[in-house]
Amino acid sequence: MKKLIIIPAYNEYENLARTINDVKAHAPDYDYVIIDDCSTDGTAQLCREQGFSMIHLPVNLGIGGAVQTGYLYARERNYDIAVQIDGDGQHNTRYLKDMEKIMVSCGADMVIGSRFIKREGFQSSNLRQMGIRYFSWLIRVLTGARITDPTSGMRMVNRELIRLFAAEYPKDYPEPESVAWILKKHKQVAELPVMMNAREKGVSSISPVNSVYYMIKVTLAVILACF
Amino acid sequence: MSFRLQVIICAAVLAVLALLIRMIWKKKIDLRYALPWLCLCVGMLILDFFPGITSWLAELMGVSLPINMMFFLGFCFCLLIIFMITMSLSRMGRKQKQLAQEMALLRRRLEEMESRTGAGENEEER
Repeated sequence: MKKLIIIPAYNEYENLARTINDVKAHAPDYDYVIIDDCSTDGTAQLCREQGFSMIHLPVNLGIGGAVQTGYLYARERNYDIAVQIDGDGQHNTRYLKDMEKIMVSCGADMVIGSRFIKREGFQSSNLRQMGIRYFSWLIRVLTGARITDPTSGMRMVNRELIRLFAAEYPKDYPEPESVAWILKKHKQVAELPVMMNAREKGVSSISPVNSVYYMIKVTLAVILACF
Repeated sequence: MSFRLQVIICAAVLAVLALLIRMIWKKKIDLRYALPWLCLCVGMLILDFFPGITSWLAELMGVSLPINMMFFLGFCFCLLIIFMITMSLSRMGRKQKQLAQEMALLRRRLEEMESRTGAGENEEER
């Protein structure tokens, strides 16, 4: 079985080497590919020097376009499983085996690594948690499915969803929208409790300034994805 | 509307029309995007030659001053053009994304082939 880890990275120079070492240590049976979203901090040079497997985007496409490039790559090379993890090192690759198991045992098309089932590890700020709970509620109302961590960037998908995502993936803030979209397509989504780390360096893509835009945009996107 | 104003408007619109056609001729703007502007020029000429239409339309829609009718129509036309631009912007963004992704995947393939054959070693000299 061919398995791929997709690591979208935008200006993750300081975190990337640690993330890749973690991947090599805990998931040796996986191929990985870094999608460098036209970083300005020398992420691409770092990858070339270190010999990391990388796809360099010629222009900045945003997280959605970068992740979709990973799915296009996975489709092109016929991978059976693809899993997204963030380049900032907040996801632990030691959970991948359990995610695979759940995928098989539940017959799930997607397995999400969730922070909020056991509530262990880094839990994000209160305000963000409220936002996440709101999206979780919205998705439950619209699709009937219970997703505790719809914004999690740690997601494993099977071959069928690789094809779906390669063809169509939201542009920015894609996680809740894409989950709602595949739920409406009657795909099975399962969750695994995971612990995440706080990011060590660099900044999150969602700043207070654009969080209002984020809430409104994602709300509309989720609602539209459900009809 | 005075005859003098009619002549001035007619001259101005014809000048713009000439400029537009010249730009289309020189391929500076696509005919596709020039079309709404051409329609605007023609519409303005018609209204200029037959001012009765404006008054009639204003009365029909309950607008008391014909000039306000003109402002309203102009505003609607601007909205239409802006909306068309929004649409083509979305389309172009999508195409640009697909191009960038395709290019990135091809480059990856190329790099892999180069590293296999050792052809990439002279890259620094370029």
